[in-house]
Amino acid sequence: MYGEDEYDPTVVEEEEDDDEEITQEDAWAVISAYFEEKGLVRQQLDSFDEFIQNTMQEIVDESADIEIRPESQHNPGRQSDFLETIYKISFGQIYLSKPMMTESDGETATLFPKAARLRNLTYSAPLYVDVTKRIIKKGHDLEEVTETQEFTKVFIGKVPIMLRSSYCTVYQNSEKDLTELGECPYDQGGYFIINGSEKVLIAQEKMSTNHVYVFKKRQPNKYAYVAEVRSMAESQNRPPSSMFVRMLSRTSAKGGSSGQYIRATLPYIRTEIPIIIVFRALGFVADKDILEHICYDFSDTQMMELLRPSLEEAFVIQNQQVALDYIGKRGSTVGVTREKRIKYAKEILQKEMLPHVGVGEYCETKKAYYFGYIIHRLLLCALGRRPEDDRDHYGNKRLDLAGPLLGGLFRMLFRKLTRDVRAYVQKCVDNGKDVNLQFAIKAKTITSGLKYSLATGNWGQANAAGTRAGVSQVLNRLTYASTLSHLRRLNSPIGREGKLAKPRQLHNSHWGMMCPAETPEGQACGLVKNLALMVYITVGSAANPILEFLEEWSTENFEEISPAVIPQSTKIFVNGCWVGIHRNPDLLVKTLRQLRRQVDVNTEVGVIRDIRLKELRLYTDYGRCSRPLFIVEKQRLLIKKKDIQALQLRESPEDGGWHDLVSKGFIEYVDTEEEETTMISMTINDLVSARLNPEEAYSETYTHCEIHPSLILGVCASIIPFPDHNQSPRNTYQSAMGKQAMGIYVTNYQLRMVRPCSYFLSYVYLLFFLQFVIFSLQLRLYSFLFFSQDTLAYVLYYPQKPLVTTRAMEHLHFRQLPAGINAIVAIACYSGYNQEDSVIMNQSSIDRGFFRSLFFRSYRDEEKKMGTLVKEDFGRPNRENTMGMRHGSYDKLDDDGLAPPGTRVSGEDVIIGKTTPISQDDSQGQASRYTRRDHSTSLRHSESGMVDQVLLTTNADGLRFVKVRMRSVRIPQIGDKFSSRHGQKGTVGMTYTQEDMPWTVEGITPDIIVNPHAIPSRMTIGQLIECIMGKVAAHMGKEGDATPFTDVTVDNISKALHKCGYQMRGFETMYNGHTGRRLTAMIFLGPTYYQRLKHMVDDKIHSRGRGPVQILTRQPAEGRSRDGGLRFGEMERDCMIAHGAAHFLKERLFDQSDAYRVHVCERCGLIAIANLKKNSFECRGCKNKTDIVQVHIPYACKLLFQELMAMAIAPRMLTKEVKPSKDQKKKGA
Amino acid sequence: MGKRKSRAKPPPKKRMDKLDTVFSCPFCNHGTGVECRIDMKNLIGEASCRICQESFSTTVTALTEPIDIYSEWIDECERVNNLEDDGTLEGRADA
Repeated sequence: MYGEDEYDPTVVEEEEDDDEEITQEDAWAVISAYFEEKGLVRQQLDSFDEFIQNTMQEIVDESADIEIRPESQHNPGRQSDFLETIYKISFGQIYLSKPMMTESDGETATLFPKAARLRNLTYSAPLYVDVTKRIIKKGHDLEEVTETQEFTKVFIGKVPIMLRSSYCTVYQNSEKDLTELGECPYDQGGYFIINGSEKVLIAQEKMSTNHVYVFKKRQPNKYAYVAEVRSMAESQNRPPSSMFVRMLSRTSAKGGSSGQYIRATLPYIRTEIPIIIVFRALGFVADKDILEHICYDFSDTQMMELLRPSLEEAFVIQNQQVALDYIGKRGSTVGVTREKRIKYAKEILQKEMLPHVGVGEYCETKKAYYFGYIIHRLLLCALGRRPEDDRDHYGNKRLDLAGPLLGGLFRMLFRKLTRDVRAYVQKCVDNGKDVNLQFAIKAKTITSGLKYSLATGNWGQANAAGTRAGVSQVLNRLTYASTLSHLRRLNSPIGREGKLAKPRQLHNSHWGMMCPAETPEGQACGLVKNLALMVYITVGSAANPILEFLEEWSTENFEEISPAVIPQSTKIFVNGCWVGIHRNPDLLVKTLRQLRRQVDVNTEVGVIRDIRLKELRLYTDYGRCSRPLFIVEKQRLLIKKKDIQALQLRESPEDGGWHDLVSKGFIEYVDTEEEETTMISMTINDLVSARLNPEEAYSETYTHCEIHPSLILGVCASIIPFPDHNQSPRNTYQSAMGKQAMGIYVTNYQLRMVRPCSYFLSYVYLLFFLQFVIFSLQLRLYSFLFFSQDTLAYVLYYPQKPLVTTRAMEHLHFRQLPAGINAIVAIACYSGYNQEDSVIMNQSSIDRGFFRSLFFRSYRDEEKKMGTLVKEDFGRPNRENTMGMRHGSYDKLDDDGLAPPGTRVSGEDVIIGKTTPISQDDSQGQASRYTRRDHSTSLRHSESGMVDQVLLTTNADGLRFVKVRMRSVRIPQIGDKFSSRHGQKGTVGMTYTQEDMPWTVEGITPDIIVNPHAIPSRMTIGQLIECIMGKVAAHMGKEGDATPFTDVTVDNISKALHKCGYQMRGFETMYNGHTGRRLTAMIFLGPTYYQRLKHMVDDKIHSRGRGPVQILTRQPAEGRSRDGGLRFGEMERDCMIAHGAAHFLKERLFDQSDAYRVHVCERCGLIAIANLKKNSFECRGCKNKTDIVQVHIPYACKLLFQELMAMAIAPRMLTKEVKPSKDQKKKGA
Repeated sequence: MGKRKSRAKPPPKKRMDKLDTVFSCPFCNHGTGVECRIDMKNLIGEASCRICQESFSTTVTALTEPIDIYSEWIDECERVNNLEDDGTLEGRADA
């Protein structure tokens, strides 16, 4: 529209029709195919499916059989025929059903997400497992009798199911079916429903294991260089075992010896061990053997020289036994014999050192090679031949998504289950009872264990150490974009207090993987990230096919080679483990890539050929970030025009499509580490120009091409038009603000009883006026029930799709579920009511429905059972027999105790009536007029509206359960917050009716007038371009394309605007609405997409004269929801003093608010007993009834004194001038 | 105003245990009775119990640490004990 048509370099001389090259525009067909197939939450779904389909069975398989031998007990009564009976229990095949729900009456039915959300159920599917019980009876003559019992499909627990995953009830349902089931067709799933609340698992970032990192230490330090490996064997659920190899600093070596020794730490060994001793302990004794494993090339004198001190140091230990003893002595065994020490050391070397290389016997050669490699890398760095490793490189990071997170949890819970089974069977066997497996397997372990972690976000067992908080979060449902962005979020669990800036900064390797704009401000800045649009997180595949392939393609393993050939050949690593060497890496890599492009090898396998290091690293593990790229060969894309045409013309989305493009080898996934070995052209045009004039080309060795550079952005940043014209922090601000914009957050919002955006977790202070003090203790117990469910939603009345769009918006469904309105915005100073980021809004537009919105809040309650017989009851409380009734009106309640839909409610009106019977014995001897206590729910006191919907149902426990949704209309007014899509937020400062607004020749009046001062310092040029493009778009009746990194220019847009008959740059002559005079300046005016943010004055306005106070301190309560006070703080106090209004200060702050009167014994200075009625005063300690005075002190002061006294400190109030010595003597006496 | 209690801090990371320098005596069993002296000049290391005055000395190298001397003492005791059991030699327990 604005340029692409005029300038299209690819139309130039291109060869035969069949091989026609594609244009950047064609790339969008590819991108559409991607999103059509994958959607936006693919990482979540893939990861969860992997867990359900593979990991869960693997975890069950890897658990060893439970074997129980009876504790031999003498049992005189019975003499068994058998010498010994062994019970063996093993778990086999698992089965997972679709999500189910069992009602309290025992009826079981399929569960749909809608029901789970509405009835506060958990969307989970039962899991069954085949169990085999074998009883092996050994007779006295060593004969064996085996009884085998098979139990098929034993229920072992319920597993929460991710929505839209392959086990979800609405998996791959059509749009129509989804709508009929009450689901939003635009909702993409990727979350769980736990107790009715939608939970997302936030991806957790971690360092990759089995990787050698070499770091230079900042001097002065004992060490100069450190190599570090965190080794973790596959499918081992143990914390990684770290190994450090350190090189000492030159100066620190004591005794002035030759210096730089190299030492290693081994697990459980309490000191560092010289590396040569480790080699000797592994069985490599001769110096030459050892050096061969480290240095490979003996002509490398520099490196050999660095090893000399280490060899000299270990000269005294010259055989394996001595070396093992040396290590064993430094382990946890002290004071045992030599044989034991040697055995211990051997075990450490075999099982604990570098477990990923191997934990079996005869791994010494492999381990020695790997250990030598670690030292080799350390030395390379020490010699300055390689730079130190980069901790923040994204290739060194792995992401734990829902699958691995649940896998870890499931493994732990399944172990607990088997442990419990074992304990139970052992008990049965020992007591001579029959073993009943149904009782032994406690399904609750897994059911409630998974539910607990998903509901609270505490990952791991309750109250156990090492749990992470905040892993599972309540899905943000404020607006559709915020939901999507939340599902693509990730967290780096580094201390937020850490001052180190490095992990927070944008790293080169984030390109295309992490959104450069979308991150929170403040403490979590840069630690919480969001995925870019086209990222694929690997789910992991088996390493075996790769190993077999390598074997086939003549990879030589360590048994076959002599170390001398290593320098000439390439080392091959699979998942960080050195498996062998290869002499023709070119061919090997070529074949591997070829096979991967044909999908003969899994597409997510990473192939990294490091030419300098002579290494080939292959990765199949999970959690790597990768992204698709066009493959380039001979400076041409492999994908051609005809492929794009085939893609566009295909009949159903199933055939052809994205996976076809991948399997045809046009596109491949490249992970962050592999990316370093590629040459990627930014655009297709770069390739064209590289072909046409090679002299000016950046490169002639392109291997890949970006699909489109705008895909580096994430969900929220993709909504910004022209982000490439804004100052970067503005894009970050908008990314945060877009999540607060109102729109339509799902299409089924009418069918939802809105769930929380954020929980009200704050501790609830209970503040009551004096008459309630008596009940306060009991009420405190219930308090969390009143406040626990706080659920709200915002919906915009007439949302519009933006006039100025980005291409990515299509896939974010921003047109279908928009969050804003194309407002006519003028940038002008007008009447002064738009200063300091406020805006003037057109009242007539507001009256016509401009930015009107709905606000929903639901309240929820249930009839809890109290004991077995007593139950709470919904119903209209009766003043005659109910104590503790609320202030508000009960008139709105129907006979069933609920306010019916359509009732206008306000203030503290009761909307759910509920009473609890009180048993007569705990009515505290009061008149037994009361038989019930009120536990009704009333509307928040500052809100009003209409009852929108009432849902009465039963929950998981079969209790009657109600949700009441209140609705109110919010009309924009002074104080409400709005923003453009460029981080330009402001509140309404004034509303003018149309006649008072400035107008143009055409009679157009703006909806919003923002102040020009908002622009220059913030440099949001994007907003200005959006405005003029919006003007063109409105005139031409088309959408404007504001995708970043395209060839749309301001000049082109201006020309188009000029063609429409307007001033080129969007200025218009305007006339003052108040005076009718022409404004001296021309005004920049045009449609700009504006968002209404959720912050509205009506929810914030607050003032208080007098009101509730805290019981303990008698200070005013805190917060608007409690009608709290507004703090007159230190700085305000300082002002009063500075004004010289000290007496006023005393009067306000003391006399009128906090004064208290106490009686003080003049002898001891402590508070005395005063009975004002009887006019008697006494200090018991001093036996004093006369010397007592009355003083006025703040109540807070009195409280402090009493608390001090409680901790045995006597704060004495001396009312008379203390006479020096005489008085003190008296006191002592 | 009191500072609000923040979330409990994670326990400080466990540092690697230092190597022992005092040991239990193989003769009087006193838990921390044995201390070692290393004389690098003459390459002699000596372990002695400050409770029962038993002692043991051996040659040392640059890499020797107290634990090495002590372990050698234990080995020596073991050897002597085994000899005693065989009944071939007697009275060298105080080696």
